[in-house]
Parts: sequence; structure tokens; C-alpha cells
Amino acid sequence: MTPARGLAQQAHPFTLFAITGAVALLAFILPPPGGPVALYAAVVVLALAAGVGRAAARALLVCLPLWILLFLLLAVFGTGPRSDLGVITVSRSGLDAALAQGARLGAVATASLALFASFDPSRFLDAVAARGWSFHAAYLLVATLQAAPRFRQRAAMILEAQRARGLRFGGNPVRRLRGLAPLTTPLVLGMLSEVDDRAMALETRGLDARVARTPLEPPADRIADRLIRRGLPLLVVAALAWRLFG
Amino acid sequence: MSPRLLALVPSAVAINLAIGFVVNQLGLPVYLDTVGTVLTSALAGPVAGVAVGLLSQSVRSLYEGFIWLPFGAVQVLIALLAVLAAARGGFRSLPRSIVWGLLVGLAAGLLSAAISFFVFKGVTATGVTAVTILLTRLGLTTGQAVTVSSIGTDLVDKTLVFALVGGILRALPARVAGRYDWALRALAR
Amino acid sequence: MTALRLDGVTLRYGDSDTAPALADVSLAIDAGRITWLFGSLGAGCSSLLLVSAGLAPRHTGGTCAGAVRALGADPHDAAGRQALAGKIGYVTPTPGVQLSGVAATVSEEVAFAPANLGWPIERIREAVPDALARLGIGHLSGRNPAALSGGELQRVVIAAMLVLAPGLWLLDEPASALDRAGRSTLAGVLRAEADRGAAVVIASEDAAAMAAVADRLIVLDQGRVALDGAPRDLLADDVLWRHAAGSTPIANLARSAAALCDVVPRSLAPPYPLTVDEGVARWS
Repeated sequence: MTPARGLAQQAHPFTLFAITGAVALLAFILPPPGGPVALYAAVVVLALAAGVGRAAARALLVCLPLWILLFLLLAVFGTGPRSDLGVITVSRSGLDAALAQGARLGAVATASLALFASFDPSRFLDAVAARGWSFHAAYLLVATLQAAPRFRQRAAMILEAQRARGLRFGGNPVRRLRGLAPLTTPLVLGMLSEVDDRAMALETRGLDARVARTPLEPPADRIADRLIRRGLPLLVVAALAWRLFG
Repeated sequence: MSPRLLALVPSAVAINLAIGFVVNQLGLPVYLDTVGTVLTSALAGPVAGVAVGLLSQSVRSLYEGFIWLPFGAVQVLIALLAVLAAARGGFRSLPRSIVWGLLVGLAAGLLSAAISFFVFKGVTATGVTAVTILLTRLGLTTGQAVTVSSIGTDLVDKTLVFALVGGILRALPARVAGRYDWALRALAR
Repeated sequence: MTALRLDGVTLRYGDSDTAPALADVSLAIDAGRITWLFGSLGAGCSSLLLVSAGLAPRHTGGTCAGAVRALGADPHDAAGRQALAGKIGYVTPTPGVQLSGVAATVSEEVAFAPANLGWPIERIREAVPDALARLGIGHLSGRNPAALSGGELQRVVIAAMLVLAPGLWLLDEPASALDRAGRSTLAGVLRAEADRGAAVVIASEDAAAMAAVADRLIVLDQGRVALDGAPRDLLADDVLWRHAAGSTPIANLARSAAALCDVVPRSLAPPYPLTVDEGVARWS
């Protein structure tokens, strides 16, 4: 993961999480369909301004098949009064629902992929340590992100090794199912034998020491970051109040 | 958390993700994205299993967008049911693993259906949603279609997961199984 | 001063019917010296290191009887482990599994343990470059550990322990991934550590390298201490072959040549030469 340049990289790691969380909540709080659509537009503009425009493009690719399915399921095949849309008719309420849901997915996908593009594991760990929060939880997240590509590579190697031994994985579903155990069992058993060595290494490197961890380069928590993180919950509560009582 | 769990959990999550790659290579219409969750639950108990489940969903959400985060509840349910299965000897033999897999598949399918319907209006993964659309064209309501397609997928998927994990657990050398408090219980050794 | 003491230690990985990995081992290892553990496969060298670090049987499974004291504390006791945090440097032959799993650069990797132990940042900033420089890998400080070769990674892992200036080193085949230059650097570092007052215990099959650097040789055979003495004396003696896989290449050559003779000439009789220079001097 290479941190993107610009505003997103400069922001405190917790600010990015707060923004993503607020977007997810607002997506469901704001009155559909206008609310989610406006939110999605705002998130895309924010992503472009923060230098993570590629995340918005990636979110578009992720959401496109879902938008098509939403349109089919809710609008084309939906029930209730219908409107003409050129060559087809669509359910009016279904179209509104598809628009709202599509915008929700787009907003949340854009915000979270922007978060991922900006995510710097070292800054995140240092931010957690600087706050004195549980390092173990942060460690688990970052260690998993680093472990995932390694295990995928290992799975690919096991696949090639088994092919070289003459195992065939094509053909009918039953034959393919039979390929599961020779591929997954070595992967899992290898993982378990490695766990012992890793556990010992982590222990000898003080991961279970009962002292506060020293942050190596704690990210600056600027006034803007603090204002955003304090303002966002208020914004969410205000939106909820407006939706309920407005 | 102990150093052992700090070493186990990330690797188990990575297993969940890597097996998705394997399944893709085999061209199988299943996910098998809970092998690490079920295995960890059986070896190390509910806290570790739930941690693997939630972390798996969070990491996948980071790669693909947080839209699928609500399905973390399904991972939690599967982790807890896997602990129950382990306590009741559910991994002692292949037939037992299959029965427990079917039960967990049913429970997971029902919860998945509820999340799909109420949070996602029935539109989630492409394959399952295609089945949902087909079923609505056959006369089912959206809610019924989502339920049938979710349960159908999860029954197959979780049965395979439990069969696989059971096989792995039974293949574990006693020395390795002995390091995990819950493993011996799961295998009734 | 005794840095490590084992009293009647018996370690079993399986049930009581299985042969013990360590059988009634008692020994005392002094600070300021390099102690070399040597033995054939299954002799118990790795197990002795694991027990000394308090890692077996907790992480390996099995049972352990007897007492262990490392740097004045019991590494098998929770309070003892906390007291020993950062004071035991444990290194295995597989560097890949010893990484933190969260460091983006080599500097961060080496700083991982000091940060976990709550060292002041100024101390960390001084100690990390120093450890890297001593292992000859200062130029790798900004590199991603995942992109390093096996030899580079092994140096990083050793640096990650060196930064802590441990009072007790427990190294299991630490040079397995190192090239000739790396082995020479490591030998220099460990010698300096012993001179600083640390106790250095190394399990190694490389008799030629260890003969030049070790102060004491302990030969293990089927989990028991079979021989204990000066490395040069034991390596040159016939008795070593009864318990271990052999000696230095030159000594092995001399012994093999002697076995071919009906009457062993004095030039091939023990004490065997241990190095090429000694062989040339003996046989020319």
C-alpha cells in the first residue's frame, strides 16, 4: 500500500477513519434518494481534492455491477406504479430505491477505498501508541495486511507444486472439489507450524511487555484534524435529528 | 492477547483470503472464506475465532470498500457456532463435520439473508444476486428470493468448510494439537 | 558470574513414554564467554536453547522438570519473564518467521523491540543505527524487510536483538543463511558481546567456524551432556566422534585417513589438526 500524496497523506490516521465512519452512517441517515446521491457526489469531490481520485475510480468499478443488479432487481423487476424510461418501463419507487442504494454503496465504497489508498501502517501504529490505546488490536490489523499477500503467494506456489506432481484440477465439479484438500491442507498445516516460531519471536521482542509502547514517529494531530473528528459526530447527530424530527 | 494468538490470528485471516484465491483457480462456485475462522475457533476458542472473523471482514472491506462490513456479523455467528461444534465433537469424523456444516450453513444463510435484504435491498455478490433475480421472476417476493439464494449458497459453502477443517484437524500431529487448549476437546483426544 | 543455570532439566515433547529431548541436564554458563553447543541431529541443542529462554515447553508443548535460572530470574515463571523482557536475545535459523510482521522498513524492524519495551525515543534513535552499522547493514535501513535476501534478513534479525544489548544470547544456527562475510561479521559481533559481559550460547554444526571463536564446547548426545571442555581439546580428540557428527573438515579428513591404515602413523593420530594451516604443518 503506497500512501497517496496530498491532503489524505497529511491527515491524521484517525481522521480518515472518522470520515469513513461518518460517511457510512450518513449514507443511511440522509433522506433517500437525494441525500445519498448528494453525499456520494460530495465524497467523490473530497476524494479528488485530497489526492485519492483513483480510489473514486476504483469504487466506480466495484459498484458498477451492483448498480446494474440494483436497477434490474428493484426498478425493472420491481412492483408498483411504473414510468417510461425510453424502451423499458420501471417501477418509480423501485428506481428511487435503486438510486438511493446505489448512491449509498458508491459513497461508502469511495470513502473506504480512499482510506485504504491513504493508509500508512507505520503512521497508524504510531498514532495508536501515541494515544496509549491497545497496541495489540492495531498490530493484528497491520500484521494481517502484511500477511495476506504472503499467503496468497504461498497458495500459488502450492498450486504449482501440486500441478508438477501430476494433480489435475480441471474437469467436472467433483474432480475440482477433490483438488481442495491437496491445495488447502499444506497451506494450513504450514501456517500452524509457523505460528509457533512467530509466537516465540514476538515474545522475545517484547510484544507482551506490560509497558506503554513508544511511538517512533507519531503523526501530527493538527487543529484541523481535531476539529474534523469532533465535528463529524455532531454532524451525524444533527442529520439524525433532522431525519427524525424535521 | 498472548503472543500465540497474535501470531495465529493474522495468519488465519490470511488463510481466509488465500483460500479465496485457491477456489478461484479451481473454478468452484463457492467462497470458502471462513476456513481460517472455523479452524481458529476450534483450536483457540471464541475470542480468537471472533477476532479472525471480524478482522477478515474488515480487511476484505479495506480491499473492496466497506460496503460488505455488515456481513462481519455472519463471521461472528460462524465463529461462535464453530466453537459449539468443537465442544460437541463436531470435527471427530467426516459425517459429523458435514452435519454441523449444514446446520451452520442454515444459520449463516438466514442471517446473511436478513443483512442482504434489510441493508443491501437484496443486492450483494453478483452470483447470488443473479439467482435472487431469477427467483423473483419465478414469482417469489424479493425477501423470499434473497432467503432461498443465501441459504442455498451457505449450505454448500459451510458444509465444505466444515468438512475441510475437520480433515485438517484430524490430520494434525498430537504435538501440534496439544498446544491449543480447545483442539483436544474438538478431537476428543 | 553465572548467567544461565540448568539443574536436572528433563524436557519431553510427547507423553512419558517418548524419549526425552533433554535428560537430566545440569550446567552453568558464565557471562563474558562464548559457549558452543554441538551434537548430531536430535542431540538436544535447540531444545536446550528453548528451555533456557523459557520458550519450551510453553510454546512447543510437552513437559519440563528441573530448574532454570537465566540472569537471576526464572524464564518459566510469568514474573520472571517480565523481568527478563528484552534481556535475552534469541535467534533461530529461519529469519523470515522472526520478523515483526508490521515494519515497513529495516529501521522500524530493528526498533520494534525497543519500542515495545517503552524505551525513550532518543535512546531508540541512537541504538538502531548503531546495531545496523555493527552488522554491516546500515545501507539497508530504509528498505522493506520483505524485499531482502535470506542473508540480509538474518543480519536484520540479529540486529533486532543486538539493539537490546541482551545479557544472554541464545542463538540456534545463526549463520545458516549468512555468506562468508556475514559469518565473519557475526563472529566479530558475538565476540564483542561476550567482551561486553554478555553470555553467548550458540548451537552450531559449523565446527570450523566455532573452533575459532568459542571459549567452551558442550557436546550433547541424546539429550545428555556428553562432553564439556575447551573446544580445541575436544575437537582434536577421538572421543568426540562417539557423541557427535564429527569435527572440523581437516580433523574429519585426518580421522578418515587414519581409518584406512592398518597401522596408524603418528601424523594421523590424535590430537588431530583442526585447520588447514595445522594440517599443512603436520603433514608437509
